[in-house]
Amino acid sequence: MAGLCGKLRMYLEFSRISFQRAAAYRFEAWMRLFSNVVFLFMWGFIWYGLYMDRDSVSGVTFQSVFSYVLISQMLQGIHSAGTPLWEIQEKVRSGDIVTEIIRPYDYPTRLLFADLGSIAFYFLTAIFPLYSVIFLIFRPLIPTSPEQWFLFFLSVVLGYLIRYFIELTFGLFTFWLIETGGVEDIFYFAISLFSGATIPLWFFPGWLNTLARYLPFQGIYFVPNAIFVGELGGTELFSALTVQLFWVAVSFLILRFVWYKAGKKIVGQGG
Amino acid sequence: MITVKNISKIFYINKRQEGMLGAIRSMFFREYIEKIAVNDISFSISPGEIVGYIGPNGAGKSTTIKMLTGILVPTSGEIRVNGVIPYRERQKNARQIGVVFGQRTQLWGDLPTVDSFELLKQIYQIPEKKYRKNLETFTEILGLDEFLNTPVRQLSLGQRMRADIAASLLHDPAVLFLDEPTIGLDVVAKDRMRKFIREVNKERGVTVILTTHDMSDIEKLCKRMILIDKGKIMYDGELAKIKEVFGRDRILTIDFEGDVPFLEKGVQLIRSEGNRKWLKFNLEEISTAQLLAEIAKKNEIKDFIIQEPEIDYIIRKIYERGL
Ligand SMILES: Nc1ncnc2c1ncn2[C@@H]1O[C@H](COP(=O)(O)OP(=O)(O)OP(=O)(O)O)[C@@H](O)[C@H]1O
Ligand SMILES: [Mg+2]
Repeated sequence: MAGLCGKLRMYLEFSRISFQRAAAYRFEAWMRLFSNVVFLFMWGFIWYGLYMDRDSVSGVTFQSVFSYVLISQMLQGIHSAGTPLWEIQEKVRSGDIVTEIIRPYDYPTRLLFADLGSIAFYFLTAIFPLYSVIFLIFRPLIPTSPEQWFLFFLSVVLGYLIRYFIELTFGLFTFWLIETGGVEDIFYFAISLFSGATIPLWFFPGWLNTLARYLPFQGIYFVPNAIFVGELGGTELFSALTVQLFWVAVSFLILRFVWYKAGKKIVGQGG
Repeated sequence: MITVKNISKIFYINKRQEGMLGAIRSMFFREYIEKIAVNDISFSISPGEIVGYIGPNGAGKSTTIKMLTGILVPTSGEIRVNGVIPYRERQKNARQIGVVFGQRTQLWGDLPTVDSFELLKQIYQIPEKKYRKNLETFTEILGLDEFLNTPVRQLSLGQRMRADIAASLLHDPAVLFLDEPTIGLDVVAKDRMRKFIREVNKERGVTVILTTHDMSDIEKLCKRMILIDKGKIMYDGELAKIKEVFGRDRILTIDFEGDVPFLEKGVQLIRSEGNRKWLKFNLEEISTAQLLAEIAKKNEIKDFIIQEPEIDYIIRKIYERGL
């Protein structure tokens, strides 16, 4: 038990350091925030244009879709502060991965905690203040009950873990193919199409909608977004959370398996 | 402490193919070149030893160290460090060893040096008291206080090396692996590093394995030397014995004033470039002072250097006559 506490304290130390380090990379953070807001307005205007002469599309009001876009951009902003794929590629190519291997910690776990630190910083100093203002100005739909808030947060966390585990797994492929390229494109394509980051799944044609709802990617943005704006409720909501939970478990197992295999593939360049 | 039984490491290097057709071909048929970096080596090291692991570039030194530290999985063979199979129980092994790679730092570049140490305290869960005591000791011997608050990225090579070796010992490891710990250091810094390594070995009983290209590192630190070339062990034993056989050879480089021919008994002219001559002689046959006196009698000497045999020379000799 004492050992477990010590371990947790160690991983949290990495969060703390990343938090402080993020402060040093403020300029990059502002640039990220800027592009995030540009995309927010772009999608806002596109949906506004599509809704011009209509009250609702597929039974969903403009108000819902706009709120969806808002919360989606906010979540994407949070996700963007922790990108393990780049970090792993960099470390494998430079050979610095060696340093991570000879430390008495679990590298994927350390990465996760470090990224949580940068996210905390980015959230507190950039995303939260900015989106508070945006929310106050545009008055989007927000959860109306404590339960809805709770389920939203729960699904945000599950969604984050799904994306993180999948991205880490793709990052680990660098151990086999020092030059990946094509492989990571699959990841980015799948995320942009199936996660519901920009287009809510309910606008997908029937078969694609059904397919998307069973894939892991919709758990990243679509489920929390839809819960937030109140378009997901009752049994539908619980099955969505179950699918999310299922994918958290599966992507975690795949990650551990790939990590185990990658450990045998290390070539440790340089020196 | 450390046992290594018949380990080999083969790297499979992707063969690149020429031109467009080659690129397409290689998408379907991958061809590999096998590179045997370590070839069936065995040795064992007892607690408290300092062993010098030497060999020319590309001999397989770093590859061996990487297997012993658990980074690389051997292609075949068995390794035990304190009973632990390094690559199978990486974290457990990490707790009992310290590692320094002279060519790359293991500290966090953007953190002040002392923050890197603090982080290591958390990582290895070093008790506060032990951490304080170790840091104090190392600071004193290595003179760390001049740069404790400087980010690692801004340290000079010598400072960085000192920081790295201190960092590798904070958690009181039983074994210390040093891959070229004196590379790029000046004479004073090398000396300081050697003193520190010796002290750590003596006072703390840490077993040390170090690779180097500098024979004087070995001379000043190690009783035992393992010599490796092309992945195979050429010699494993006392340094004294090697020195007995080859260590009496010296190379004398002389710049003469004016071009003067000469001939001395027991001296071999191995190279000549204008007025500069390279002479090989053996201390058993003639002492340096004697030789110089003899030469000076007949010739005017402008400058001279005396060199001990280098690793390449010893290896060549072992190939030629064996041990
Ligand atoms: N990751 C790798 N992939 C392919 N070949 C490698 C790799 N690492 C080392 N080698 C090859 O294995 C051989 C041994 O390399 P190693 O780094 O162990 O040599 P070394 O004795 O440390 O040399 P040096 O004194 O130059 O540091 C070399 O021929 C090297 O090219
Ligand atoms: Mg080397």
